[in-house]
This record gives sequence, C-alpha cells and structure tokens, in this order.
Amino acid sequence: MARASSVAKQTGKTGEARKGERYREMSVAEFFARNRELAGFSNPTRALYQTVRELVENALDATDTHGILPFIQVSITYDEELEAKHGNAKKWFRVTVEDNGIGVPPTVIANAFGRVLFSSKYVIRQTRGMYGLGVKAAVLYGQMTAGKPVEVYSSIGNSEYVYSRKLYIDTEKNEPRIVERGQWRKRSGWHGTRVTITLEGDWSRAKSRILEYIKRTAIIAPYAEIVFETPEGQVFVFPRLTNKMPPPPKEAKPHPHGIDVNQMKLLLQSTNARTLLQVLVTEFQSVGKITAEKFLKQVGIPPDIKPRDLLRKEYNDLLVRLVDSMKSYRGFRAPKSEHLSPIGEDLIKLGLKRMFEPEWVDAVTRPPRAYAGHSFIVEVGIAYGGALEPVQEPLLLRYANKIPLLYEEREDVAYKVVSNINWKIYRVEFPAPIAVLVHIASTKIPYKGVGKESISDVPEIESEIRTAVQEVARRLRLFLGRKAREAEARRKIITIAKYIPEIARGLAMLAKPPEKWSPPSEDEERRLMEALIKLVSRNIEIPEIPGVDHEDPEKVVRSVIENIHLE
Amino acid sequence: MSSVPSDKVDVEARRRAAKVIHEKFRKVLDDILKGKPPKLVIPKRTLANTRFDPEKGILVMGEDVIERELLNMGEARRFMQTILMASIIYQALIENEYPTIRDLYYRGKHTIVYRDLRGRKREENTWEEQAESDSVIRDVEVYTGMLREDMLILSKEKGKVVGRMKIRSGGDTIDLSKMGHGAYAIESTPDLIEFLDVDAEFVLVVEKDAVFQQLHRVKFWDKYKALLVTGAGQPDRATRRFVRRLNEELKLPVYILTDSDPYGWYIYSVFKVGSIQLSYESMRLATPKARFLGVSMTDIFGWKGKKPYLTERERRNFIIKAKDLDIRRARELMKYSWFQTPRWRRELKIFLQKKAKLEIEALASKGLKFLADKYIPEKIQTGDWIE
Repeated sequence: MARASSVAKQTGKTGEARKGERYREMSVAEFFARNRELAGFSNPTRALYQTVRELVENALDATDTHGILPFIQVSITYDEELEAKHGNAKKWFRVTVEDNGIGVPPTVIANAFGRVLFSSKYVIRQTRGMYGLGVKAAVLYGQMTAGKPVEVYSSIGNSEYVYSRKLYIDTEKNEPRIVERGQWRKRSGWHGTRVTITLEGDWSRAKSRILEYIKRTAIIAPYAEIVFETPEGQVFVFPRLTNKMPPPPKEAKPHPHGIDVNQMKLLLQSTNARTLLQVLVTEFQSVGKITAEKFLKQVGIPPDIKPRDLLRKEYNDLLVRLVDSMKSYRGFRAPKSEHLSPIGEDLIKLGLKRMFEPEWVDAVTRPPRAYAGHSFIVEVGIAYGGALEPVQEPLLLRYANKIPLLYEEREDVAYKVVSNINWKIYRVEFPAPIAVLVHIASTKIPYKGVGKESISDVPEIESEIRTAVQEVARRLRLFLGRKAREAEARRKIITIAKYIPEIARGLAMLAKPPEKWSPPSEDEERRLMEALIKLVSRNIEIPEIPGVDHEDPEKVVRSVIENIHLE
Repeated sequence: MSSVPSDKVDVEARRRAAKVIHEKFRKVLDDILKGKPPKLVIPKRTLANTRFDPEKGILVMGEDVIERELLNMGEARRFMQTILMASIIYQALIENEYPTIRDLYYRGKHTIVYRDLRGRKREENTWEEQAESDSVIRDVEVYTGMLREDMLILSKEKGKVVGRMKIRSGGDTIDLSKMGHGAYAIESTPDLIEFLDVDAEFVLVVEKDAVFQQLHRVKFWDKYKALLVTGAGQPDRATRRFVRRLNEELKLPVYILTDSDPYGWYIYSVFKVGSIQLSYESMRLATPKARFLGVSMTDIFGWKGKKPYLTERERRNFIIKAKDLDIRRARELMKYSWFQTPRWRRELKIFLQKKAKLEIEALASKGLKFLADKYIPEKIQTGDWIE
C-alpha cells in the first residue's frame, strides 16, 4: 500500500504536468475543483449521477474484486438541514452507499477519501476505476456545493472495530482535513464501508439515468444484491441470482508495448533491479532473459546499464529511444490475459434474462486480444423479444470493466459497430425487440475523455466487438429462422383449419348417394371433421425451437375451430 | 320448394347430374378417409390453356390442369368454396329445385367464425361478390365435366325462337308457329326440351332482336320453312346450346346473320367455335357447322364477278365509318386461326381497306321485302355464305 501511494502521488504530479504549463503551480485537488466537468460533475444532474456511480463502483471493487459476493445498499435522501437553511429548496441530497467489502484500514481512510489521486487501484489491474480520482471528485463537489464533509464508516474483515471519519479536502494543499473521528467495537462480523456524500443535485432530472445505471449494474453483476432507495422512499431490490462470480482480476506487470516514458521513469526509480536487462526481465510481463538480451542487442543499448543512470539528464535521449523501441519491438510475447476478469457467458445471459425476460438470449466471451500492450477481452450478449420493446435500433448496453456507460453513446466504438451491422442479414427487421450488451474488460480502457463515458475506436477493439456481435447474431439468425418457419406453419394451420367445418359439412352432404339421400347427421359431419383435423395436423409440421415447448399441431388445429358453430 | 318433378326428362337429368357430382366428390371424400391429402384436379380455365381444334372446328381446353389442394395455403379457400358450391348444387338437384346463379350465391354466402392463434374470434365470408361464386360455379362445371344447364341451374332468359316446330317443355307441348307476335323464350335448361314435329329446313339466327321481330312479323319462317332464332346480341349459353341441338340432332343447317362489323363476326364466332373465355363449354355449346350468311363485305362492295347488294348511293347513305375500336377488333380476329380461311381474310382485308361497317337494319330500311324475300333466300340458294 505504501508503495502504491507513493507511485500514485508521483503520477498525480506528472499527470498534472501533462495537462498544461499553466497549471504547474496549482494542486491537483484545486485543478479538479476548477475543472469539475472533466470528471463528470458539470451540473447538478450529472453530479448526482456521477456521485452514485463513483460510490457504487468503489463498493463493487471492494467486494467482487476480492471474491466477496456483493451486497450493496444505495440511498439518496433529501438533506433537510440544508433545505431549512436555504429556503426549503429540494436540491440538497445525501448519497449513501454501503458495501460488505474488504473495508478500508483506519490509517488509510483519510488519504483514500481526502487526497486526490491517492488510490489502492494504481496498479496494472482490471478494476472499475483507474484514475483513483472519481470518489475524491465527488467529495470535492460535495464540499464545494453543500459545504459538508464526507462521512465514512469502515471496518476491515479481521478488525474488532468500526472506524469513522468526517473530512474535507484541503484543495490548496491536496490534503485531507479530518473534522471528526470515531471508533466502535463491533457487535457483529460486519465488514465493509459506508460512505455518505452531501451535495447539490437535481433528482428529478437525474432519476431516470440513475435508475438505469443501477439496473444495468444489476444486469452485469447478477451475483450482487443491490438495494436502491429513492428520495421519495421508493425501494428497488435486485436480488442475487447466483453465487457464481467471475474470478477476481489479478495484478499484472506492464507489457513493454504499453509503456510510456513517464511510466518507465517511475519504474526505474522504484525498481530493485541492478541492470537494465534485469529491469526488462523482472518488471515486465512477456519478457524472458533471452528475449531481453536479443532486444537490447538489436537496439544497441548496453544491457548492464544501471537503472538510476538512465534517469540522468544526459541519458534522456537514450531513454526515449529505449521506450520507443520497446513499444515497436515485435519479438515480445503477446500480453498476458490471465489477470483479466470477463463476466462470462452464463452471467451475461442470466443478467439479461432477469432484466428483459427475453424470448431468446445468448452471449459470447471472446478470447483475449491486445492493443498497444494492453490486453483486453470483448464480451457480447444479445437478448431478443420478451419484455423488450420494439425499437428502431438495438438497445445498446455498454460496459467497460463492468461499469455501465450511459452517456455519450454515439461517441462509443460499440455504437459505431452495432449501428453499422447489417441486421437484415440476421433476420432482424426494425423495429425489433433487441438489446445488445457489449462489455470490454481491459487493464486499460481507452476512454475518450476523463468522464469515462465512451470508448475510443481502437481498431483492435472495434474488430473484436464486430466479430463478437456477428457471432452471437448468427445464432440469433438461426433462432429467428426457426421462429419464422414456426410462424409460417401456424399461419398455414389457421388458413386451412378454419375451413374444416365448412368442408366437412359439404362433403357429408355430397357423400350420400342421390338415390338414398337424407340430410347428413351431426355424427357424420363430426366423423369427417375428425378425419380432416387428423389429416391437416399430420401434414403440417411445426418446427421445433430449442428452449421453447413444442406444440402439438393437432392442438393448434383444434384451437382454431374450437367452440365454433356453423350458422 | 320440393315438389314432384313434373316431367320425365327433368327427373332423368337430375338423376344423371346428381350421380356425376356424387361420384366426382366421392373421390375427395375417400382420400380424406384414407388420410391422403385431398385435391381437386381441374382443367385450367385460362386463355393460355384454350386452343382451336381444327378437326372439331371448336375451341377446346388444353391439357393443363390445376391441382387444387386443401393443404396448399393459397388454394385452401377455393377448395372449400368448391366443396360448398357442389354441395349446394347437389342438394338442389335432389330436392327438385331450380336455383339461379344468384340463388347459389346467397345460399352459400355465410360467415365462417374461427379463432386465430391468440384465441381471438375472427370472421371470414365464404364468398363476397357474386363474381366470386360465379367463378366457383365454373370450377364445378369444369371439375364435373357438366354445364350448369345440365345441373339445372337457371339464368336469365335472353334467346327467342319461332318457327315450324313443336316442342315439349315442362310437360307442355308448345307449337312454335303459334306464338302470335311474341316468341318462345329459350329456357335456361335447353336440354330438357324435347323436339316433336319439325317442319323446317333450316335455322336462321339473327344477331339483333329488332331484325328478328321484323322477320317474324312478315312470317319469314313460315314462307321459307325455317326456324327463326335470336340471341339478342351476345348469345347466352341456353341459346347456343339450343342452336347446337337443332343442328346436331335435327341436322338442320344453321345460318347466322349479323351486322357487317368485327363485333358481328365475333358473335358468329361464338356460335360457331365457342367463347374464348369459356372454352370448356364449347364441346356442348358450339355449332361448328354454323354458316355465316352475312352481311359480308362483298355483299356491300362486291367482289370480282359478284355484284354488290347495295348501289353506290345506298353505300354512301348506309355505310358507317369504322371506329378505332373496330379496327383493333378486326386485327384481333385476324389472329384467330378460324378466321384465317381465304374467304375470311378477304372480308377482313376489305374491312381494313374501306374502314367501313354496316348494320343489318340498313338492309331492312332498303325494304323489309328486300331482306326477307331477296337477300336472305338468294344468299342461301346460291350458297353465298362463309363457313
């Protein structure tokens, strides 16, 4: 944790430096306070949504990432105190999210919530947040608009105590300022974290987005129990559907293709390796000793150069050349993907089934691929029919590292792919009741902006999404084909069966020879009708659809003319 | 309406028709009871399946058939309609009724109620317009090989006859020479007519009712030992069947007198070879030996040695300029093989050259005597007709 923290602080500064020369003297916290739209806090509606999102994602990261079945309670309430103070305006909210996760150690709480870019997440691992910035942005926004501290209660698994902290962020110093602390002995085995942020928001505008966000979270994490309470006291419960969880993601070393000069500098500072060769072998994945030697020989950099020396000014050009060569060298093995945590086909299907009760659902998890040294996995699920409303283009459910993405849909690579698919090939005729879920799991999601709402069209990712959508869509086509044939058979049955009573009556009349003619009895008509019912049902086949009860054609024939009396 | 059939011919006709229907549909029934998908094999009633049989001199149906299958979505409705129509006709035959085609339409028209796959009640009529049920009647005719007249289905009477002959119909004996100024309306069921005493030597069929009346008033038929018939324009089936019987059973030559225009020629063609739309009837309705007596183009304009019946002045007064439609009709007729004899080609050629036509009334206005005592007898005696 200590190392992660120091790394994070460093990154923060360099990250800031990259933003532009003007902000050199400004603290990171201040920078984000002034540029809050970058983190998704541009207005009260978006801020409320973003706060819920940051807290829920932290809660999920504290649970499923550590193999704990999540139980997450979200509540938004009106802050009556502020209301009274500000003339009863209904714009002050307390957002509380409680999880049953690993908890935050008491010594870390203050920095975790009160120092921008302090995060346990700054390692190369697939987690929901990456910048370690989100929750702090929410805290900052809260203290700026409502003036109240963030309230944190937390307990780690083996601790006998629950600790609480109320704190502000000192934006100039980028430091937490604790205003209240507490400590209680635990009466139960509870562990986890409960965070409350008070802020100015717009519930009436944010409501549908927040509900959608919670719903989509429940789709992607059917192993989580999620309870959501609205300011009006409405409670939404998404019960846990399964105890099966995707395996937690593991930490991984960076791949040489995915490194940049700054990261390389940090790495050289903190490494215990004594030579550049050792750095390559121990600090990177997919690099063995032989590969490293071959690589250095080819680029003409001495393998025994000391890591610290490379940081010296006079070696700067060499360092840049080294990093450039690492990025382009073809001899490294592909990035590993074991540390990625896809949701899996079963869980995707389960989540979609619960939300849409579709007639048909299927999903695919693609094999791992890499772009620029970062491994990624694309997963796609398609649901069709059932509770889905017919729409003009597929309902797109986008996820990145299990986070639902709701805004900027049309900017997203998944939208680009899905809207360019020729759905007619797959027998989908719009308006159609269809939803397409696209999940990208990666150690680095190539977001378009700091708002983390849309993913750039990286060619490797784009092509994987397309392949995945096509694969599931092909299965959908088979289903729709069978369904069409089935509908055709049923239409045929109706078209023919409705005439059975009329034909039976006519033929019963014609069946009597002229010399011994008498009006046919009901029995005679009935007998002919039965013969016709048998004949029609035996000769029209209703194709079977897997997963759908196969109907007896005779039953269908009878249902058409049942209880119908001729005039 | 059931009554004791009044006459033996009627009883016999009913028995025969009912038997045919019963046997034909018995096959469908047997298929169903054996579990075999039922079908009605029906000769195609399309223009493409109509051809001229030069040997018989009539239009006949070709070999094409349609198999109307119950299990074919597109044909199930027509299958049902055919069974329905046959059963109504069958019942009418047995119960001694004489339905008209309109009666058949009403008797068969009702609503089928069924449920769709969602269990909702739906309705459909067995047929909508009479055109639909009339078409089904034609199917029953073709399928059973009988005409509606054979099945004692009535239609509006249109044709008339007078002349030196006695007939029996519905148990009554009728003297066709004692009809006053009126005439005997040729009944819808001409096969139920029995020919008794015949004292005529030929049959003269005139296209127009007005000319028929004029010739009747001057007792043309009496003076020239003839039977005088009119179809009053486009002849109905009963008139054509009646004429056919006169020709076939009594061996009387049949002469046809129409306007001198493509329309008149087509009426002659209908009497002689049958109608193109309903070629299946021709076997029983056409009179292939019918002769076209006139008015021919050569009657008007003359030809080589033949002197025209009209003077130059009369031509100027009586001739009507042919319309575009007439020209088009004439060109159409030229395509039919039975109009491709040298004499007909000559007629059509003159017509297209002169673009002139003439109504029979024009000849009558030259003097009824001219028509009755000169034109017609002379043409018959000199054999100046076209086969």
